Amino acid sequence: MRKGFEKQLDELNVNLIKMGAMCEQHITETTDALFQGDKSYVDRSHDLEEAIDKCEREIENICMGIFLKQQPVASDLRLVSAALRMISDMERIGDQCADISDMIKYTSRHNMNEYESLREMSTNAKEMVTDAVESYVRKDLELAHRVLKQDDVVDQLFVDIKNKLINYIGDNPDQGEFWIDVIMIAKYFERIADHATNIAEWVEYSVVGERVK
Amino acid sequence: MTKRIFKNTMLIILLVLVLCGVFIIGVLYKYYNSEITDEMYNEISFISAGVETEGMDYLNNLDDVKIRITWVDKDGTVLFDNQADVSTMDNHRDREEIKAALASSTGKSVRYSYTLSEKQVYHAKRLSDGTIIRISFVQNSIWKIMFGMIQPLLIIVILAIAVGGALAYRLSRQIIEPLDNINLDNPADTEVYEEMAPFVRKIVHQNQQIKDTVAALKAQKEEFTLITENMQEGFIVIDKSAVVLSHNTSALKLFGVSHRAEQKSVLVLNRTKEFETGVKLALEGRHNERAITIGEKVCNIYLNPVFDKEKVAGAIIVVTDVTEKEKREHLRREFSANVSHELKTPLTSISGIAEIIKTGIVESKDVPEFAGKIHKEASRLITLVEDIIKVSQLDEADSAVEKEKVNLYELCREVVEQLEPVAKLKDVSLSVMGNDMVIMGVKPIIREMIFNLCDNAIKYNKPQGQVNIKVDLDNNRRSFVEVKDTGIGIALDQQDRIFERFYRVDKSHSKEIGGTGLGLSIVKHGAILHSADIAVESELDHGTNIRVTF
Repeated sequence: MRKGFEKQLDELNVNLIKMGAMCEQHITETTDALFQGDKSYVDRSHDLEEAIDKCEREIENICMGIFLKQQPVASDLRLVSAALRMISDMERIGDQCADISDMIKYTSRHNMNEYESLREMSTNAKEMVTDAVESYVRKDLELAHRVLKQDDVVDQLFVDIKNKLINYIGDNPDQGEFWIDVIMIAKYFERIADHATNIAEWVEYSVVGERVK
Repeated sequence: MTKRIFKNTMLIILLVLVLCGVFIIGVLYKYYNSEITDEMYNEISFISAGVETEGMDYLNNLDDVKIRITWVDKDGTVLFDNQADVSTMDNHRDREEIKAALASSTGKSVRYSYTLSEKQVYHAKRLSDGTIIRISFVQNSIWKIMFGMIQPLLIIVILAIAVGGALAYRLSRQIIEPLDNINLDNPADTEVYEEMAPFVRKIVHQNQQIKDTVAALKAQKEEFTLITENMQEGFIVIDKSAVVLSHNTSALKLFGVSHRAEQKSVLVLNRTKEFETGVKLALEGRHNERAITIGEKVCNIYLNPVFDKEKVAGAIIVVTDVTEKEKREHLRREFSANVSHELKTPLTSISGIAEIIKTGIVESKDVPEFAGKIHKEASRLITLVEDIIKVSQLDEADSAVEKEKVNLYELCREVVEQLEPVAKLKDVSLSVMGNDMVIMGVKPIIREMIFNLCDNAIKYNKPQGQVNIKVDLDNNRRSFVEVKDTGIGIALDQQDRIFERFYRVDKSHSKEIGGTGLGLSIVKHGAILHSADIAVESELDHGTNIRVTF
C-alpha cells in the first residue's frame, strides 16, 4: 500500500518536471518566434498548448487518485496540494504563450528587436519560468526566492514600456494598432512572470509549509 | 520467553494442585462415609442394649446427644423421639428402614433432602420385644465438607502458588539468562550451555561470511566508483522506470546540477524534450545518440539500453562535452575557407591579367606593367605559401630543433634596422630600449616572431605613430620582449582571435595593408615552442601592447 503511494508520488514528480519542461520550451520558442517574426510558429504553439493541457489533466488525475486512495498527511499533503496549484499556473503560462504566438502575425512586419525593453522583459520572464521549474526540481528555496525578486524587475519593465508607448503613439499616431499589440504582449509576459512567481511560492510552500506573502 | 516459561510453569502448578485436591477429597469422602456407617452401627447396638435393659428411662436420661434417636412400637407408633414432639408424629410403620427392621432385625435407608442439600441416613434395629430403635444422622454433602475445608485449602493453595511462582520465576530466568547474555557481535566470547554451542558456532561462521561479502562488495563498489569518477565523460545508470541508480560527478558537472540525483528521476538532471525522447527510446531497447545544448555547452549523449534476459532492465547514458570539438570544427571550416580565399585572390588576378595579355588587347608597351602586376601577385602568393609552410613547420616542430644562446636585445636591433625603411614609408618612428638578455632558443624563429610583431605594429599604426620595443627582466626574473605601438588598437572581443590563422580584424582592408594573416599565428606557435607567454593589452584607437615573456 505504502509502496504504491511512493510510486504515485514519484509519478507525480516526474510528470510535473515534464510539464515544467514543456512550459520552458513553450516560452523559449515563443520568444524566439516573436523576435524572428516567425508567423508559422502559431500552429506548433497551439499543439504545445494542447499537450500542456493534457499533461495538466493527467497530473490532476494523479493528485485526485492520491487524495482519495492514500489520504496523504503532512509534507505529502502539502506536496500534492501544491502540485495541484502549480499545474494550473503552468497551464496559464502555456495559454499566454499561445496568446503571444497569435499576435506574431500582426507584429511580424516590424523588427521587434528594436524594442529593447520588451526583449529584456521576455528574457526575464523566460528566466523566471526556467528558475521556477528548476527550483521545484531541486527543491531549491534560494532559487525560488530569486524568482520572487525578479518579478519586481518585470513589473518595472512593464511600467517602462507603458510610458514609452505613450510617447511612441504620440509621435506616430498612424501605428497605434501596433503599439497596442506591443503593450498586450508586454502584459502577457508580465502575467507569465506572475505565474512563475506563483510556482516559486508553491515550491516554498511544499518545502517549508508556509506561503510567503 | 521468560514470561512464557513462567506462565506455563504456573499453569502446571495450578493443574497439579487442582487434580490433587479433587483426588484427595474424593478418597477422603469415601473413607469418611464408611467411618460414619461403622460408628452408627456401634451407636445403635449400644443404644439398643441400653433400651433392652432400662427401657424408657435410659432414653430419657440420654442428653447431649447429637444424633436423633427414635423409638418405634411394633405397630409403628412413635414412643420416643429426642428431637421432636412424639404426639405430633405420625405412624412410622411405612418407613423403609422400619419395614426392613421389622422383617430382618436391622434396616437402613438414606433419604436426600434437596432443600437442605443434606443426606439423612437412618439405621433401625429390632429389639427383643419387637419394638424398634432408629437413629438418624445427617451426612454432610461433599460440597459442605469442602466448604468447611475451604480456609485451610485456600491457605495451602496460596502458599503453593507463592512458592511455585518464585521457583518458576527463578527457573525461567535461569533458562533465559545465558541466551540474553550472548554477545551477538562476538558470540564466541560468551559461555552458553552445551545445547546452544552449535547455534553460536553457526552465528560466528555466518558473521564472518557476511563480513567477507560486505568487504568484497565494498571493494567492488569502490573500484567502480574510482573508474567512473575519473572519467571525463558523464556516466549515468538508470533503471527501467528512468530512476537514476548511480552517476559520476562529471555527469553532474556536465548537466550543471549541484545535488546528487540518485534515486530520483533522470529528468532531474536534464528535462529537455530531446533528452526525454532519448531516454524513452533507450528504455524501449533502442540505442541512440543525440546532441543537446546545456547552457552554453554542447553535449553528445549516448544512450544504451541494458538487457536482462531479453528484457530492458535499464539504460546506461554516457555524456561527452563536445563544445571544444564543435568550436574546433568551426575554426577548421573557417580556416579552409580563409586559405582558399587568400590563395584564390592573387591567382584570380594573375589568371585575369594573363588572359588579357593572351587575347592580345594589351599593347606591347603596357606588357611590363601587367607583368609587374603578375609578379606582385605571384610574390604575394609565394609569401603566403611560405608563411603557411612556416606555421605547419611550427605545428610539427619538436624538441629536435637545436637551441642556442640568443641575445634578444641584439635581435631586436637587427629587426628594427631591417624594418626602418618600411617604417619611414609609413611615417612611424621605431625605438629599442632595455638591456642585453640572453636566452636559450631557436634564433630564426625568435627573429621571425619579433619581426612579425614589429611589422604588425608598423602596419597597423597611424601616421606619426611610434613603436617602442623594450627588452628587460620582469618581476619574476624572466626576460621579455615588449612591442608597444600607438596604432589603431584591437577591440576586446577580438583580442583572443587575432592569433588564429588568417584572422583579420578588418577584413575589408586586408589587401591595402598587405600581409598574409599568418603573422601572429607564427608568433603564437613560436611562443608555444619556447614555452613563452603572450600578453595582449590593447585599447581601440590608442594602441596595442604585446609582451612575450620567455
